[in-house]
Amino acid sequence: MDHFPGTWGRPRNDVYGAYDPTYLQTTGPKTHTSSPAVTGTSVIGVKFNGGVVLATDNLASYGSLARFTDVKRLRVFGDNAVVGFGGDVSDMQYIDRLLESIDIRENYSTHGNMLNAKNLHTYLAKVFYKRRSEFNPLWNHVLVAGFDVDGKPFLSSADLLGTTFSAPHLATGFGAHLAVPILRRRFPEEMPIEEITREEAVSALKDCLKVLFYRDARSIDKYSIAVITKEGIDLKEDEQIEGQSWAFAERIRGYGRQTN
Amino acid sequence: MTSLLGHPAGGEGIGYSFSQPTAAPVKQHGFYPYTDNGGSTLGITGSDFAILAGDTRSTSGYNINSRMVPKVFKIGGDDETGEGAHIVLSVVGFAADGNALKERLDAVVKMYKYQHGKPMSVSACAQRLSTILYQKRFFPYYVTAILSGLDEEGKGALYSYDPVGSYEREQCRAAGAAASLIMPFLDNQVNFKNQYIPGSGEGHALEQKKAEPLPQATVEQLVRDAFTSAVERHIEVGDHLQMMIITRDGIQEVFHPLKKD
Amino acid sequence: MTSIGTGYDLSNSVFSPDGRNFQVEYAVKAVENGGTAIGIRCKDGVVLAVEKIITSKLLKPGSNKRIATVDRHVGIVSAGLVPDGRHFVSRARDEASSWRGTYKAPIPTSALANRLGGYVQAYTLYSSVRPFGVTSIVGGWDCEAELAVDGQVGSGPKSGSGGKVEGAPAGGPGLYMIEPSGLYWGYYGAATGKGRQAAKAELEKLDLTSGKLSLSEGVKEAARIIYVAHEDSKDKEFELEMSWISSLDGPTNGRHEEVPKEIREEAERFAKRALEGEDEEEQMEE
Repeated sequence: MDHFPGTWGRPRNDVYGAYDPTYLQTTGPKTHTSSPAVTGTSVIGVKFNGGVVLATDNLASYGSLARFTDVKRLRVFGDNAVVGFGGDVSDMQYIDRLLESIDIRENYSTHGNMLNAKNLHTYLAKVFYKRRSEFNPLWNHVLVAGFDVDGKPFLSSADLLGTTFSAPHLATGFGAHLAVPILRRRFPEEMPIEEITREEAVSALKDCLKVLFYRDARSIDKYSIAVITKEGIDLKEDEQIEGQSWAFAERIRGYGRQTN
Repeated sequence: MTSLLGHPAGGEGIGYSFSQPTAAPVKQHGFYPYTDNGGSTLGITGSDFAILAGDTRSTSGYNINSRMVPKVFKIGGDDETGEGAHIVLSVVGFAADGNALKERLDAVVKMYKYQHGKPMSVSACAQRLSTILYQKRFFPYYVTAILSGLDEEGKGALYSYDPVGSYEREQCRAAGAAASLIMPFLDNQVNFKNQYIPGSGEGHALEQKKAEPLPQATVEQLVRDAFTSAVERHIEVGDHLQMMIITRDGIQEVFHPLKKD
Repeated sequence: MTSIGTGYDLSNSVFSPDGRNFQVEYAVKAVENGGTAIGIRCKDGVVLAVEKIITSKLLKPGSNKRIATVDRHVGIVSAGLVPDGRHFVSRARDEASSWRGTYKAPIPTSALANRLGGYVQAYTLYSSVRPFGVTSIVGGWDCEAELAVDGQVGSGPKSGSGGKVEGAPAGGPGLYMIEPSGLYWGYYGAATGKGRQAAKAELEKLDLTSGKLSLSEGVKEAARIIYVAHEDSKDKEFELEMSWISSLDGPTNGRHEEVPKEIREEAERFAKRALEGEDEEEQMEE
């Protein structure tokens, strides 16, 4: 008989090998997120005459697994600002709750939430920068869309490092490679945004989403799109990419039945 | 007594199989807190003016983030318009750090004015900027800064920095992605390096052309030439040239188009 | 009041021999001097209203609000010491926010009233503090739809065991009144402050228990009741301040908001007409 009660019921070393004590290690350096887990891919956005359009697909991937397929990555803030999130979904939820608490606090005052998209972007960029400086990043790349103080359409980007930039059209992730060239061709940068109609902007984003669905393996054909104008936010969260054509795939070796 | 466990029981008492805590291997962080946003800046001073310039391209790797992200900022002026400022700062490298640095210096210069009732001198601001940078010696602002204005005598003043606060006053300085392309050009055209006075002698006796402050129009043209050339040879430089011209009348900001390829 | 001056009223938390806490009773006196505040629990929302006595002509009309938003769906109005009311609201906001932090959902009105009741009660227990000089009316609308968790990302399963139950009743209006003792009850109609007696009499006439009064009627009645309650202190000028929380398909979409100017003014015209009507009746009787 074993006279040491502490070993009773434990896996025997001669059968299972010695226990690996590193699993119970509580000391060592404090660690933070060093890579994202469940992620969303591209966010794309364009300014047009009188507003901004923003779009994402509805997928949250776990590595290469298409884990959640009805994820809403466009988040509304106040009456006319929207944040489109790429990157880690849990960090997105954290930021969303953060923004919600700000919205509630702003509504304590009689004027309601007076923060515009530009204020929101400045704030978010500072949150990102603070967290990266603590080596505990919020693993996202976001686009913020809405209006500035003067009521002009606003579209700007912020990422996990606190990097910010603004342009008439923006895209994060894969979209930076695939969508931006399409948008730049359609809306040359010297073209004033007053010459871009809402319909043109929406249709351009839909085309970009289609190209992204064709070529980004971490995307799906369900998407959300938000049109932000002075009248408010028109948010659709259950859209389907229309008019797909996979004809191009026929000519590519390695697809479908053509295996060599 | 034979123990079921491999190691001898007794002595210490209960024989937990994990009784010896071994030091966990130190885990490496997978997060790198910096990025390079490309671009270049350039400053040249004259006898009664200073010019600080930069391109407005922002890049991430081979991507162009935006064609209009200014790198040159008025310091200590109005938040929106920059009105009332007499100091200019350029930052190139990691743009997020650049912005944070700009905002801190801006706050410092404003506080100086509120507390002392007079504007901060460029030399004082230059020293302060060095301190701010050095305070983050072990987690630096990853930027090359250039600070410019007019000194107490009204002469153009320009201070250049490394990311941890080492600084000196210079006639001219190029920084950023195309610094290595522009700086030799400046050496030659501003400080007249490798320019000799014809017929002044043979070999070592050949006399160097003496550097003298250049007129404003010449400097403006030099800046434009430096950037049009840098754009040709560096992929991270382009889109627009932003120029801040500091004279006793104030700060004038001008933009010129650069190639967008 | 008998047994005043016997020494039992000098310290908080000390009972008098007949089981009273005088400090609390004095706090109630402070409330009784405040402008009348009322709340009406209607079938599709809650109205809060307060008679704001104008203490100086130099105050900007419409400023210095007395009804506070605590969370998206909750509002509070109090009668009594205004600064005590502000602190009370601040506590309510902290409670609502911490509830969200824990449960990722808005705080139910009943739970908020419970927390606040506990908070106020604690101020009757220690000699180092005094009780709150306010009676507060807490009005809220608990969402009747199935609520998404704060920050929720998907829509959840559309069918199967995790599916949604159609037509399950949930949420609705909530109205609570918390007194300086920490005592709180849920009400159909609540009134406090100087004109509470008149206001209560009017509220009782409304047949609120049947749950038939609509929010839009409630707004008019609330305005009228404040005007009626003001009859006894006619020499003082006052402003009517009103807020409401409707159901999700109502005018405020489940949020606590100030009643829009046009609707408030319409309600005030209704209130004045109703008062004039009463006067005429009285004259007729004469």
